[in-house]
Amino acid sequence: MDNKILADELIRTCLKKGADAAEIYLESGRQLSLEVRNGEVETVEEAATGGAGIRVFVQGKMAFAHSNDLSEVALENAAVRAIDFAKSMTSDPSNVLPDDKTSAEVEGLFDPEIAKIPLETKLGLAKAVEKEALKDPRVTKSAGARYGEGEEEVVIANSNGLLKTARSAACSYGVSVVAEKGEQKSSGGKSCSRRFFADLKKPGEIAAEASQKAVSMLDSKTVKTQRAAVIFHPDVAGALLGGIIGAIHGERVLQGASFLAKRLDQKIASDLVTIVDDGTMPKGLGSAPFDGEGVTTAKRVIIDKGVLKGFLYNTIVARRAGVQSTGNASRGGFRSLPGIGPHNFYLAAGASKPEDIVKATKVGLLLKEVTGYGINPVNGQFSGGAAGFWVENGKISFPVKGLTIAGTAEEILFGIDFVGSDLELERGTAAPTFRVKVLQIGGE
Amino acid sequence: MTFHPWDADIRRRKFLELSLKGGAIIAAAPSVLSQFWACRTSPEAAGTAAVDPGLLEKAVAKALDKGGDFADVYVEHRVSRSILLEEGKYRSAVFGISQGVGVRVLAGDKTGFAYTDELAEVKILRAAEVASAIAQAPGASAPAVALKEERRPSYITVKVPLGDVADAKRLEVMMRAHQAALDYDKRITMASVDYYDEVRSRTIANSEGLLLRDELPLLFFIVQALGVGNGTSHMGRERLSRHAGFEMFDEVKPEDLARACARESIAMLEAKDAPAGKMDVVMQNGWGGVLVHEAVGHPLEADNIAKKIGAFTGKLGQKVASPVFTMVDDGSLPNFRGTTNFDDEGTPMKRNVLIREGVLEKYMTDILSARQIKAERTGNGRRESFRYIPIPRMTNTFIDTGKDKPDDILASTKSGIYVQSLSGGSVNPVTGMFNFTCREAYLVEDGKKTAPVKGATLIGNCLEVIRGIDAVGDDLDFGPGICGKGQAAEVTAGQPTVRIRGINVGGTRGR
Repeated sequence: MDNKILADELIRTCLKKGADAAEIYLESGRQLSLEVRNGEVETVEEAATGGAGIRVFVQGKMAFAHSNDLSEVALENAAVRAIDFAKSMTSDPSNVLPDDKTSAEVEGLFDPEIAKIPLETKLGLAKAVEKEALKDPRVTKSAGARYGEGEEEVVIANSNGLLKTARSAACSYGVSVVAEKGEQKSSGGKSCSRRFFADLKKPGEIAAEASQKAVSMLDSKTVKTQRAAVIFHPDVAGALLGGIIGAIHGERVLQGASFLAKRLDQKIASDLVTIVDDGTMPKGLGSAPFDGEGVTTAKRVIIDKGVLKGFLYNTIVARRAGVQSTGNASRGGFRSLPGIGPHNFYLAAGASKPEDIVKATKVGLLLKEVTGYGINPVNGQFSGGAAGFWVENGKISFPVKGLTIAGTAEEILFGIDFVGSDLELERGTAAPTFRVKVLQIGGE
Repeated sequence: MTFHPWDADIRRRKFLELSLKGGAIIAAAPSVLSQFWACRTSPEAAGTAAVDPGLLEKAVAKALDKGGDFADVYVEHRVSRSILLEEGKYRSAVFGISQGVGVRVLAGDKTGFAYTDELAEVKILRAAEVASAIAQAPGASAPAVALKEERRPSYITVKVPLGDVADAKRLEVMMRAHQAALDYDKRITMASVDYYDEVRSRTIANSEGLLLRDELPLLFFIVQALGVGNGTSHMGRERLSRHAGFEMFDEVKPEDLARACARESIAMLEAKDAPAGKMDVVMQNGWGGVLVHEAVGHPLEADNIAKKIGAFTGKLGQKVASPVFTMVDDGSLPNFRGTTNFDDEGTPMKRNVLIREGVLEKYMTDILSARQIKAERTGNGRRESFRYIPIPRMTNTFIDTGKDKPDDILASTKSGIYVQSLSGGSVNPVTGMFNFTCREAYLVEDGKKTAPVKGATLIGNCLEVIRGIDAVGDDLDFGPGICGKGQAAEVTAGQPTVRIRGINVGGTRGR
């Protein structure tokens, strides 16, 4: 059955069985995943899959049911279960569905070619990237190369008459290798994800980065515990942005569980910091014409030259906060209730060349890897494991690992004194190179 | 290493959702004691994964049609319930039904895999055909397999089946926990309670003739409380999870869990800046075992050993840790969150001593890696659902009990950090570099626990950390968690109080 018709019928079933309002989220898709190691195919996984998420409201009480059995009997059973379950919940006047009938125009989310390209070509990419990465004699082992792709179609419909569909696809591939020297081991990996197959980077480029990452960290040292400048490489963007995303989550803000809860329209960062959330970027990995409950997406400035301009909301939390949904309802597939999350979330590019940021640094850490949870969105504390390169007198001096860095969100945000021009939107969350004037570094 | 195209960076909220996914919901679950497949009486169990043995035999044969040397068919049906109580309101309830079949074929070191959401014969055979294509030796068709159903002992006993519990009882334990958290202290401004239960039924058939079925109940209960004061805030968290019936809430009071959570939130409002640099760390018994889960457990999973890239490659029989250190993975501990009656490939669960008094004895294997490294099957082949291939995973993993008194361990530590609980961490299984974030930690000064310190990161190398453990207490305890390795798995981690010499602590204050 056509999914739009199925959604429409299911809404009517919900209303007939006692729901005051209902929303259907139908997802169908296809996935392929390949793994290659030492030139041989290791794993081939294929699946076509889908399911339904049914959200119902009974007198302002909300419940949800999901089922990957799309038979009429199973779906009706799921709807009835949800309606029964809703009756035990607490009524809340904010429990409403959107009626937004518009969608953003977003180019480049579906590449019809991906499915047509033969398996051999995709295997060939994975084999090629591995072979190239093993060329460097210091790279001793492959941890495997992978290729993956997925396509999905989503239908969202609700009892306010909202009905939207969207198709999207994405593909990615990459490699992970190990460099060894005596007892030392060092690993490095790199992957590339794109909406369009033809936009994937060449194997040589990905392989070079993966092997360089592994090799360059051999013979790494540690340094003394000290306070010094820290230059964040684009690879560690998440260490900053993850905490910001957690802290501008509309529901956490309402609950006071965010270090930014009371800082709207205040200066929270240096003038160089502008952070954007954009659901409409053409070919963006985080782009979509509408969010997880059908509200149109937009491009929004979250932090404008250091001033906090807004939070992220879905429909219900927005209503509770007395504002409009920002089109940030997120879904982890048909099995999840709409949560709150960003689209393409990035620190806007600045004016400095990355090499000039290193040159301007007398002593400091060029941070290439951060482990841990990043900034704690509740209280803004930051602490993580760190690895990268030690910078002395404006030059990269030697690799370092086994360090820690720590501080507070405030120290980091106000301490940003250089922002690079090298923003690449490789992932849904991205930043160019940037420098924090001084942070605590833990070592020997 | 994640390549999934939809997999944007994991967000905090997503982490929580993920954590629930690993653990959750229920519906009229037949008692797990009755392991006969016929006993499904509840409406939601109607049409469950009752695939008949004849079809399973056909699917196994089809899977081997192109020359594969091993095949298994995994049929799963899961019914789950979750409820969120937050700020005094039952915000939402989720009911879930998931079913499907995964077919896997091994051909030497190669794996072919396909799954279907639909249990129709044509779909299952189609999945078998797709998976079979990994083997390229047509004509080498395997002899037909006759499946023989096996019965296994159960490590999971249930007194109050989840299916017999009214929703009102679920709501009641949640509200009791919520109220207890708020009542603990005026500075607790918000509390939330996540409830999840599920019943997962599994049917496993393979080309060795094995046919197994069982049903596993699971409960997962999470309390969080926000403490606000002193110009800062802290979100405390406590978790409780077992493969058990609703009697879990008689054995552990929801109020006690909530109070423990609130106590952490209040205590941490006084936290000072943590010191930075290398120091001695005393870790309290319980969930702190997640440190060895990450730092030592993951590197001992045999998939990376088979690839000869794991940190412990080639070290079997060697002394790798301090002589006071014994580490065990045991998936047969009664009703534990990491326990099952057999793993997702049908291998029986047992106590596996991985490191005995400092000597490496065993890696944790699934069927494929056991074959590759020519080792026994240890019962560690696990999968998140029918949508995933089984891979080597931990179950209940812990540092075994030692001889030292916890008080003596602290008293004999001149200075350092006392870690009462950890949030979690991760490890690079190749290099062995690990990291952890402290939830609740204190300074140690002259053998005494003194001021609380802000959430610091602990980092180190797996081989160094287990050589640096010089005291092991006699107070072994456990905590529940979710382990992520491309797939989520429910686990417990445990340890007695231990002391580790010279860990790098990521504080904000230079010493």
